[in-house]
Amino acid sequence: MSEASTAAPMIETHGVTKVYADGRVQALAGVDLSVSAGEFVAVTGPSGCGKSTLLGLLAALDSPTSGTIRVGSHALEQLHDANHFRRQEVGLVFQFHNLLPRLSTLHNVEIAMLGSTRPHAERTGFALGLLDDVGLAHLAHRRPPQLSGGERQRVAVARALANEPSVLFADEPTGSLDSHSTEVVLALFQRLRTERGVTIVIVTHDETVAATADRTVHMLDGRIDLEGPTP
Amino acid sequence: MGMSGVALPPTASDPVTQGHPEATRHDRPLTMVALVATNLWAKKARSAGIAFAVALAVMTVVTLTVVSSGLETAASAVLTVGKADFTVAQNGVSDILYSNIDTGQLERIGATPGVKSSVGVLLETERINAANPLFIEIGIQPDDLTTFGVTVVAGTAYGATASKEVMLGWRAAQNLGLHVGDTFHANGTANRIVGIYSTGISYGDSAAMFPLPALQAYNRVPGSVSLVFVKIAPGQSSAQVQRALTRDQPELTTISTLAQAGRADRNLVFLKAAVTGSTILALVIGAIVVGNTMLLSLFERTREFGLLRAIGWGRRRVVWLVVSESLVLALLGSAIGVAVSFLVTTVLEALPQLHGVLHSDFTPGAFWRGFAVGIGMAILGSLYPSVRAANLTPLKALSNE
Repeated sequence: MSEASTAAPMIETHGVTKVYADGRVQALAGVDLSVSAGEFVAVTGPSGCGKSTLLGLLAALDSPTSGTIRVGSHALEQLHDANHFRRQEVGLVFQFHNLLPRLSTLHNVEIAMLGSTRPHAERTGFALGLLDDVGLAHLAHRRPPQLSGGERQRVAVARALANEPSVLFADEPTGSLDSHSTEVVLALFQRLRTERGVTIVIVTHDETVAATADRTVHMLDGRIDLEGPTP
Repeated sequence: MGMSGVALPPTASDPVTQGHPEATRHDRPLTMVALVATNLWAKKARSAGIAFAVALAVMTVVTLTVVSSGLETAASAVLTVGKADFTVAQNGVSDILYSNIDTGQLERIGATPGVKSSVGVLLETERINAANPLFIEIGIQPDDLTTFGVTVVAGTAYGATASKEVMLGWRAAQNLGLHVGDTFHANGTANRIVGIYSTGISYGDSAAMFPLPALQAYNRVPGSVSLVFVKIAPGQSSAQVQRALTRDQPELTTISTLAQAGRADRNLVFLKAAVTGSTILALVIGAIVVGNTMLLSLFERTREFGLLRAIGWGRRRVVWLVVSESLVLALLGSAIGVAVSFLVTTVLEALPQLHGVLHSDFTPGAFWRGFAVGIGMAILGSLYPSVRAANLTPLKALSNE
């Protein structure tokens, strides 16, 4: 476990359950999880074990059937404005980049700032800075169809960082990438953690990806069955 | 790579952006307006389809409005010729020209307390030539010409019992190329033009005046007039005189403003109802077309809306995005619709079959009505798709294939 994990928890869940389809499908069956500020945690497990469901709940994209979730200073069950929480507190990266093909790379990053408190005059410069951080400033005017898969995912990471979140959630971020692009994206995550102190939780079923995290949480049938530092 | 510390350099003076001067020089910040424009431009065919639907509906509404307004103006303009305080007509006739008031009624109107003068006038229309298919003919006694506001500007007035004599309004004379002493063929008779007159009102100056008994004889309505133009005595209340008159003769109605013309002309009422009905129909059909297209677009963009919600866009912002896209197309479509309507009515007016019959009346009201219909269509049509887009569950929307 890294040094960061000894700090105050950034994320805490207690007894979180999630039931779908009128009670017939139990996706989560009592999850207790604690993630320290600045920690890089990988959630692994077979398909259907509930890891993406857990990530969706942590990002306030959905609400639990029971249990409590706290991210930073926010108790999610008491959130009045989940949109504001997602915009200001968390960054999201998905397996598919979900970039808007008609916008330039730069505007795909800026779109996350619409409605944010950052002044208009600063947005373009800031977005360009983020693209530079992910090594793509020279492609700021290209559109997503003109980028490789790895480049698109790096733009998606830049977009996730647009509002300087304290936590980054990534659901299978390398699931559709080749090995080289996977390495680039994982190196980017490592640098985010070490250079910025961003807390990162990624969901993956790829053991080699999980190995780059500080800690691995293994899930099975909606529960955490193994937890420990990455070897 | 410039990743150093928690906060990234935020301004254009940052070394990172200075390293990419081209980007900072040419890129404008992404705003909602720019996003709407980009979205519409990216789907040109869809955008053009919606704008076309709006334009079609707006064109229909504006054309109907200006044509009906022109007909209304033409039909009711006759009421303004006499420069009276109010006009009396038969109640509830289908067309004001079919109003029929007999000599007895005319005398009782003149005897109504508060009435200073009353002038009975017979109105008929006749096809003079292709350019004048509904030429107005006014039968009026020469003694009443001054009271009626007629000034003879050339020649003389006709005699009270003269036959085959006529006076032309100066506009009519100009349009027909006729002068005093020339012959004017009307009512199957060759009439000598004895004078040219002016009323100061375009509609009256585009007509011809005959001795009342002569026009009654030509049209086989002896003793009848169409309208009676009333002036009230000084100090009298027009409203009170009108009330007294209609109480005494309930089969008659009084008209003191053009807006009241419908009392004596049911065709105008039907026409207005038809235009209102067509406007509502165009609005509903247009809204369905816009709504259907926007809904199809929503299905195509489900993942996009899911993403926007996931990265923190509120429902109101999503609704505003969809409605704004629709509004921009509505404004564009409305402008096209109004312009095409202008062209269409101009072409219709020039058609031989409609020349002289159709008078379009492009008023600011018709213009605003067209835009109101276009914007109404956009709001109605995009309301459901936008609310649906805003209420998408981000996770479900993002997993949409």
